[in-house]
Parts: sequence; structure tokens; C-alpha cells
Amino acid sequence: MATLPQLIEEDIRQIDEVLLDFVRQADLIGALVVDKGGFLITNKGDTGDLDLTTIGALASGAFMATQTIAGLVNEKNFNSTFQQGEKFSLFILEIDDECLLVIIFSTETGLGVVKYYSGNVATAIARQLNAARERNPGGGFDLSVLNLANPQELFRKKS
Amino acid sequence: MAIINQATKELQVKIVYYGPAMGGKTTNLVQVHDHVQTNAGNKGKLVSLATSSDRTLFFDFLPIEAMTIKGFKTKFQLYTVPGQVIYNTTRQLVLRGVDGIVFVADSQFEKMPENVESFQNLIDNLTAQRMSLAEIPYVLQYNKRDLPNAAPMEYMDFLLNNREVQVPSFAGTAHKCEGVFESLNMITRMLLQKFINQSMPQYA
Repeated sequence: MATLPQLIEEDIRQIDEVLLDFVRQADLIGALVVDKGGFLITNKGDTGDLDLTTIGALASGAFMATQTIAGLVNEKNFNSTFQQGEKFSLFILEIDDECLLVIIFSTETGLGVVKYYSGNVATAIARQLNAARERNPGGGFDLSVLNLANPQELFRKKS
Repeated sequence: MAIINQATKELQVKIVYYGPAMGGKTTNLVQVHDHVQTNAGNKGKLVSLATSSDRTLFFDFLPIEAMTIKGFKTKFQLYTVPGQVIYNTTRQLVLRGVDGIVFVADSQFEKMPENVESFQNLIDNLTAQRMSLAEIPYVLQYNKRDLPNAAPMEYMDFLLNNREVQVPSFAGTAHKCEGVFESLNMITRMLLQKFINQSMPQYA
């Protein structure tokens, strides 16, 4: 397994700026950057009390399932998926080999608008993520302060 | 693979519960969800994508925030896979980006072939994603120890824990929450230890 990728404040700031512009331009409810393993990396928008951690994990799972279907019908890649509801819709677009852009928007916002802007947004985010990966590929994270001799400190059972 | 976010001061890691069908993987997550001691708001909702008969269809998912290390919030995402043989594609999807594995085996004598088959399936699925048990930390939980037809622990070790490096194994009775936290804490400790080792400076 490779060393952990690290996202520094500059990475998140750049990605957040791109997302914020996107949310305003396309009148979105929210835009999330999610790792294909299910981790929420960052998000922008007025998402209220939506459980974004779980949405990120489920969206990632759904997208990856769609990729597998692509393989079964001899399609190289379905690079996006779209779900339409009565009030809200969801559009998921592949950013690169590792990440996805998950877009939540009102059904009053046209899918065409979302698609129109999302391509450039994905490209800009991919550029920043790539810069993060190349910055310090051998770098790690110092967790030595943690007392691993006592694993009970990590998760405790209610008494 | 774990994600470190310096901006939000978060470390995110993924633990997958693997094993044969009806072995107790979902029960492990339910017990963690019900019994873990966390600060308010640090425990997410347990999401279960299951069939009408309570068999896991896609995965179960439980996000928990465990502790702060050097100012970093550590967020754990716990997943289970569906155990039934036909859902192998789903298991491969859930394994993506895994940092640690808890293999939940069924202790009943008649389930040994299924345990061995599932363990081999784990090895195959990791290989398909260019990973291996040599590099992904894992622990074994021998569940259902309370049943009268449970095989001896030594026999299960012989079947499942006879690789070059032996890993920690735990007796479990997941529905009574026995062995659940022991397994979770050990895999957490092992994967964090691995990150520490990765962070060590390399000397020529």
C-alpha cells in the first residue's frame, strides 16, 4: 500500500474555491468531492443537516457498482450517473481514477446546466489532487504520540 | 487507503468486516453502534443495505469518530461485505481503499468449508486489486463461540491462521458483544501502527 496521500490547506482551499464558484454558477444545493473508497474529502453548498459522510459513502458505492455494470456490457467506462427525484436530483461525475464529484441540486435546475459546468470543475479539481499526490509521494504522518500499547483507549464499550 | 486532510485536521480510515454468510459481520457493527462510548455527535448512523430477510445486499456502513491524535480527528468508517458467494462483485467494490480487515469466521464445525472458502475469496479479491494480506493488517474473530457445535480455537487457527505471519485471533459471541471491541481495537491498533512505520524516516 502506498504512503498516505496528504491534502494540505492549500489543496482544500483551491478545491473549495472551485466548488463554491460551481455551486453559485449552477445554483446547486451542494457539491462534494469524494474518494472512490467512500471518504468525503470536502464539500460546499447549503446542505443543511444532510448526512454528507453517509451520502459520500453511498454515492461512491453506487458509482462503483455502475462501473462494474459498464464492464459487463463491454463499455470501457460510464463516467457519470444521474438520479432524478421529485425535488432533488443527484449527478455523480468521475474526477480521476481516485475521486468523484457528487452534485446535489434542485429539480428546478436543469441537468444541462450542471453538466455544462461540471466538466471544467472536475478538470480543475483533478489538477489540484494530482499536485497533492506529486508533492510528497513518500511523505507520511507521525502518529507516534498515540499509546498503542493500550488499544482500549481507542474504542471504549459503554459500561 | 486512508486520507489525511490537513485543512480539516482529519484522518479517515476504512475497516472492512469480511467473512462467510450469516457469520455475524453485521451483528459486529450493530454491537459497536449500540455500545461504543463516544462524545455526542461522534457516532454516525448505521446504514444497512439489506434484503427484506435481513441479509446484507451491498454493505453496512458505520462512521465513528474515535479520538484526536496530535490535533487530528480520527474518523473510522466501518463496512461489512455481503457474505453470500454470489455477491463477489460487491465484495470487491467494498474492499476498495481498505486499511484494515476483521475476518469474522463462523465457529460451527459444519461452517469450516465456508470459512476457508471465504478466506481464500478475500485473498483473491485483494490480489485482483493489487493488494495482499501481507500488506493489509487483519485480525480473525471466531464468532458464535456460545454454540454447542463450536470447533476448538486451535483447529480454527490451523485452518485460517496458518500463514507465514500469524495474526491476533479472538473468540467472539457477537450478539452478546463479546470479542467485538477486542477485535476492533486490535485492528485499529495494527493499522495505526502500520501508518507510524510508514512515517518513519528511511535510512540508507
